[in-house]
Amino acid sequence: MKVRIGAMALLGILAVVAFLGCVSEPTKPAEQKPVEQTKQVKIYGSGASFPAPQMENWISEFSKVNKNIIVEYASKGSGAGINDFKNKLVHFACTDPPAKESEWREFEKIGKPLQFPFIVGAVVVVYNLPVEDLRLDGETLAKIFMGEIEYWDSEEIKRLNPDAKLPHEKIMVIHRSDSSGTTEVFTTYLSMVSKEFKERVGAGKLVDWPVDKLGRGFGGKGNEGVSAMVKQTPNSIAYVELAYALHEKFKMVSIKNADGYFVKANSETIAAAVSASSAFVPDPFEGYKEDPKMFLNAKGKNSYPIVSFSHVLLWSSYPKDEAEAIKTFWKWVLTEGDKHIVEGYVAVPKEVADLALKAVESIRGE
Amino acid sequence: MDRFKILLLPSVSLAFGILLLMLITFFLNSWPIFEREGLAIYTSNIWRASEIPEEEFYGILAAIYGTVYTSLIAILIATPISIGLAVFVVDIAPRKIRELIVISTDIMAGLPTILYGIWGIFVLAPILSNFMVFLHDSFPFIPLFSYRNPTGYSFLTAGILLAIMVTPFATALIREAYAAIPPIYREGAHSLALTRYEATKLLLGYIKPAILAGILLAFGRAVGETVAVSLVIGNSFNIHPSLFAPGYTISSLIANQFGNAFAYSYMPHALFAAGLALFFIGLAVNLAGVLVLRRWRYA
Repeated sequence: MKVRIGAMALLGILAVVAFLGCVSEPTKPAEQKPVEQTKQVKIYGSGASFPAPQMENWISEFSKVNKNIIVEYASKGSGAGINDFKNKLVHFACTDPPAKESEWREFEKIGKPLQFPFIVGAVVVVYNLPVEDLRLDGETLAKIFMGEIEYWDSEEIKRLNPDAKLPHEKIMVIHRSDSSGTTEVFTTYLSMVSKEFKERVGAGKLVDWPVDKLGRGFGGKGNEGVSAMVKQTPNSIAYVELAYALHEKFKMVSIKNADGYFVKANSETIAAAVSASSAFVPDPFEGYKEDPKMFLNAKGKNSYPIVSFSHVLLWSSYPKDEAEAIKTFWKWVLTEGDKHIVEGYVAVPKEVADLALKAVESIRGE
Repeated sequence: MDRFKILLLPSVSLAFGILLLMLITFFLNSWPIFEREGLAIYTSNIWRASEIPEEEFYGILAAIYGTVYTSLIAILIATPISIGLAVFVVDIAPRKIRELIVISTDIMAGLPTILYGIWGIFVLAPILSNFMVFLHDSFPFIPLFSYRNPTGYSFLTAGILLAIMVTPFATALIREAYAAIPPIYREGAHSLALTRYEATKLLLGYIKPAILAGILLAFGRAVGETVAVSLVIGNSFNIHPSLFAPGYTISSLIANQFGNAFAYSYMPHALFAAGLALFFIGLAVNLAGVLVLRRWRYA
C-alpha cells in the first residue's frame, strides 16, 4: 500500500508538472521579442491540414526571398486552428470552411478579425481495392458513409460500375477523428446531394458517423492519419484532401457531378468548378457571411463536385514588427503565390485575390 | 509532535492535496455537462459536436466499454506471462540469462509508448488481421470472433499491445517480491519433498498481495495509455462483444479530441467528465484490490 500511495503521489506530481508544462509552453506571439541584431521576425500559424502541403511550399519559397521573416505553420485541423487563433497563440489560422458567425462574434470580443480565401482545393474519395476507376454518385457515397451499403458488390455500386470486378467484401469506412474542415466540406456536399444524410448526420467539422455503430467505421487523426489507415486497410474507402491523395498515389473515385458526368479531381476540373460558380466573396471584415456551399456540386460538364476554398484568419492589428512581417508574407502569397502552386491546388480567382490584398494592406502595426 | 513528523508533513499533504485538487478540478470542469445531460454522458453512445451549442451532445459509453475491454485483455495476457517470467528468472534461469532478461524487461518498461504504437500499427495489426480473419471464418458462431475485421484495428490488437507494454512492469514487481521470500520458506518447501511445481505454487501463495499489486498497477497503466492505443484501436464509437471489432478508449478519445475541444462549448466539459470516468474506473479497481487483500489477510 505504501508503495502504491507513494507511486500515486509521484504520478500526481508528474501529471501536474506535465500539465503546467503544456499550458505554459505555447509561444505567445505577444511575448516573442524579435532579435535586435538580425531583425528576424517569426510568425506562427496553425489550423487546417487541407492547405498544409501548399503552405509548406509557399513558406519554403518565401524564405528564399525574405530571409528575415520566418513563418511556421502547424497543421492540426481547422477546429484547433480557430481555437489557437481565438487564444492568440498564433498570428494567423487557416480554416477550410469560413468561420461561423458565432465564432466571428467570439473573435470580435478580443480584436477585429479579417478572413479571406487564399487557395482552392478539392476533397477526394479514395479507396483501397483492386479495382480501377471506381465510379460513384453523391447519393451512393452518402449511403456508403452512413453504412447503409455494406458490401462492395451491392447493387447500388454495381449499377454504376457494370464492368468492374467488385469483391464480396465489407466496405471499411475511414473518416477523420479530429475536428476537421475536410470533414465539414465533405459532409456539406453529402448533405446537399442526400436528404437522408442531411437529416441523419448533417454537416460539420465533427459528425456522429452512423457507420461507427455498425462496427465498420474507423477514425484517423488528420489527413495524414486517414492516409496511413487507408494504405493499411484493404476494402476501405475514405475522404482526404486531393494533395494527400496525389502524394500517396491513392486510387480516386470518379464522382458524378451536377450535370451527370463522372469526374476525377485535378487542377482542370477544380478550375472548371470555380469558373462555373459565381465566386461571391464578402468583404474580408465580414468573412463569416461567405457561403460554404459556393463551389460544391457546381454545374458544368467538367466540374469536380467537391471543391472548396481554404481561408485564413488574421487580426487587423498586430505589434509593429509582426504586422510588417505578416503583411509581407500574405502580400507575397497573394501576388507571387500563384507561381508556386502545388499539384492538387488551384490559385484563387484574380478578383478574390485583389479583394484580399486590400484587406492585408489595411493591417496596422501598433 | 516531534520534529521528524513535521518534516514528513509536506510530502504527505502534497500527495493528498494534489489528489484532492485534481479531483476538484475535474469535477468543477465537468459539472456543466452533468447539468446539461445528466448521466447520459456515461450511458449513451453519441459524439455530436457542433458550433451551435444547443445541438451538441456527448456520450462516452463506447469509450468506457473499450477502456475496460482492452485493459482486461491486457491483464489477462500479461498476468500469466509476468508470473512465469518472474519464477523463471528467480528460480531457474542461469545467471547470465537472468541478467539478460532483467535488463531487457527493464528497458521495455521504460520505452516511450509511441514506439509501441508505431510497431503496433505497422507490424502487429497486419499480422493479427490475417489471424483474426482466419478465426472468424473458422468459428463465426463464437461471439468473441463474431466480427470479421480485415483491418487489424481492434480491441484485441489494442489489448495485446497493452499487454506487451505492461508485462515488464508487472514482471518487475512480482519478481522482486518473489526473490524476497525468505530462503527458509524455500528450503522448508523442498524439505517436505514437494515437487518443483508444488513448491513454486506454495511460494507464489506467499506473494499473492504483490502479484495483485502488480496486476493493479498494470491495469492502471493500460487504462491510461493514449497514443499507442489510439493508433491501433480504430477510433470508432462502437460497442461490440467481439474481440476483433474496432472501438475507442477514454484515453485515446481525450488524446484525439483535446486539441480541438475548445472550439466547442461543451466538448471540454465532456472530456473532463471522461477523465473523471477514468478516475472512477481506477478507484473501483483499486478498491476491489484492497478488498481482496483484506480477505486474504483474514483468511
